[in-house]
Amino acid sequence: MRFLNWLAAYGPSYGSGLGWTALIALWASVGAIVWGSVLLLIRLSGRRWVNLAVEGYVQLFRNTPVLLSIYLIYFGFPLIGVVWPAVICGGLALVLQNGAYISEILRGGVKAIDLVQFDAAKSLGLSGWGTFRKVVLPQVLVYALPSLGNQVILLVKDTSLLSAISVAELTMNAKLLTEQTGAAYEAFVVVAVLYLLLVVVLELAARSALRAVRWRPRYDAL
Amino acid sequence: MITIQGLRKCFPNGLEVLRGIDLAIGDGEVVSLIGRSGSGKTTLLRCINFLEEYDAGEIRLDGTPLWYRAATGGARTRMPEPAIRALRQQMGIVFQQFNLFPHMTALENVCLGPSFAHKRPEAEVKALAQQLLERVGLGGKMRSYPYQLSGGEQQRVAIARALAMRPKVLLLDEITSALDPELVGEVLEVIRSLVLERMMMVIVTHELRFAREISHRIAYLSRGQITEIGPPGELLDNPQDSTLKEFLRRMP
Amino acid sequence: MLRLLLQGAFYTLVLAVAGIAGGTTLGLLLTPLGFLRARPLRAFYHVFIFFTRGTPLLVLALLIFYGLPAMNFSQGPYVAGTIVLTIYSSAFFAEVFRGGVLAIQRTHLESGRSLGLAPLAFLRRIIAPLALRYALPPYVNVCVMMVKASSILSIISVWELTLAAREIIERTLLVFTALGIAAGLYFIMCFGVDRLGRRVERHLMRRGFVGERV
Repeated sequence: MRFLNWLAAYGPSYGSGLGWTALIALWASVGAIVWGSVLLLIRLSGRRWVNLAVEGYVQLFRNTPVLLSIYLIYFGFPLIGVVWPAVICGGLALVLQNGAYISEILRGGVKAIDLVQFDAAKSLGLSGWGTFRKVVLPQVLVYALPSLGNQVILLVKDTSLLSAISVAELTMNAKLLTEQTGAAYEAFVVVAVLYLLLVVVLELAARSALRAVRWRPRYDAL
Repeated sequence: MITIQGLRKCFPNGLEVLRGIDLAIGDGEVVSLIGRSGSGKTTLLRCINFLEEYDAGEIRLDGTPLWYRAATGGARTRMPEPAIRALRQQMGIVFQQFNLFPHMTALENVCLGPSFAHKRPEAEVKALAQQLLERVGLGGKMRSYPYQLSGGEQQRVAIARALAMRPKVLLLDEITSALDPELVGEVLEVIRSLVLERMMMVIVTHELRFAREISHRIAYLSRGQITEIGPPGELLDNPQDSTLKEFLRRMP
Repeated sequence: MLRLLLQGAFYTLVLAVAGIAGGTTLGLLLTPLGFLRARPLRAFYHVFIFFTRGTPLLVLALLIFYGLPAMNFSQGPYVAGTIVLTIYSSAFFAEVFRGGVLAIQRTHLESGRSLGLAPLAFLRRIIAPLALRYALPPYVNVCVMMVKASSILSIISVWELTLAAREIIERTLLVFTALGIAAGLYFIMCFGVDRLGRRVERHLMRRGFVGERV
């Protein structure tokens, strides 16, 4: 009962936090996917020392906490004369970190394609772009989408860390409410439920995306 | 017709796989390439389709030089990519491992080449593909994905895919080596029917009996050179080259 | 400064090890629930996994950090931090173990059953070793994840490597040095855990287990 009263009183004040979380999650995941693809392309076409550099980048970010990158950008950039709002700094850290993971996921997807298919594509006179569009992309999407979905869910959960640099997203919202109202845990229960809802929505989205890219006959035979 | 002159190729490790190949294949002619593994026969086939680059020599199709253009001072440059693609579309190649696209049905696999290369209307491409699949005896499997097909069926789809380019020449690279013995027959049957249609073919094979049956000429490759070439009867029954004699003795 | 950071790394390691030990134990207790016939217990298992994995660690930490004192249980940040990591990692570990059991091929189970072993012996002799060989690589991944995740506890004022780095930043403004060294220390720890995991795997392989890295 006490909880319901609390919810009725403060529930609406979560709106702005939820909005910020969704916004950050959206631009950071789009950015991470783009950055991850760029890293992959560099790696697929690069010279040895470029490969080595990308490999080092990926390993570095895979073995250090996101929070550290967030602090590095938030506290470090002003020192080199770049003053950006906390949302941008935090989002950038998420992009850099998750881009490293996503490039690995995509690389796994490309590796799953049998190399001999490229011979076949060549022999049929397909161009590089044609091969990418008709042969590579449809396969990579199917191989990599499940892991990609998981990674985006992890990213959404990590947006909560932006509260550490006072971005007014969901978790910060709850912290402030706790301090204002003195309620012990109610604020965080609501937030937890909201995150779970986000995760469920994303899982459903990932599932329907997988259905959309699934291989299906394109020409109807007689 | 295809003429090959002085073809040479080195692998990056310095091994010389092709050491001066001269070969002319006439329209409607079937030439089989035999020889030990490592003799360069598959590399030769892949060079004809430019899946491998080569270091020296010339390949012509109906008199037109392929793949490279002569530059000043005896050097040569690769043709631009679109020109290479256009030339590749005049040939068909079938691989040992079928190399079908796993995310496409049999019909889509066959349609891909012509729809991409010739920019024909979809209905026309589809009709051609259906006709070809029926020809190789797969009229009922057009909507099947490669994983739903047996090895023999996959290889027949691959043949139909190569034929869909309306190629002037068909290159076959050990197309029965990866098949279970009981599936070899259905694939060879399709090839026999192509011989009757006077399709020019270059065949790399280990099946000497089949090579004897369908080839007009057989070429024996040894260490990157054609050391003997002639009609099947002469070459297989009365070999001159000593390594060829040895090779034939060891074959069943 | 280096001494402070090394000290922080030590606390990070202690927290991670405590969390991993606790999480492994709790995970091992949870895993069987996922296989039970009794529907309520199985439902409890899946709901627990769903909640724990779907909530950000920070939210879980704040929940416990503010919730424990409300339940009159207050033992300081380290105990709270260990509880947080234990609960969070248990969900991941339980799923890793469940995946290991599910990966066992039916034929192995059938041939094991045909030997007529008693249920407990069957579990100990057949299921556990086979599941271990499938579960070990993802288990190591979760361990690495926990080392990194412990940094989040700095936000609820558990003093460890990340908080040490933050304190140094606030006092000296040596952002790049402090964070650089901290990153290096995390890298060494995570990489070390990964290497250790691989070594154990190799060791087991020599004894007849064939692990499969995914």
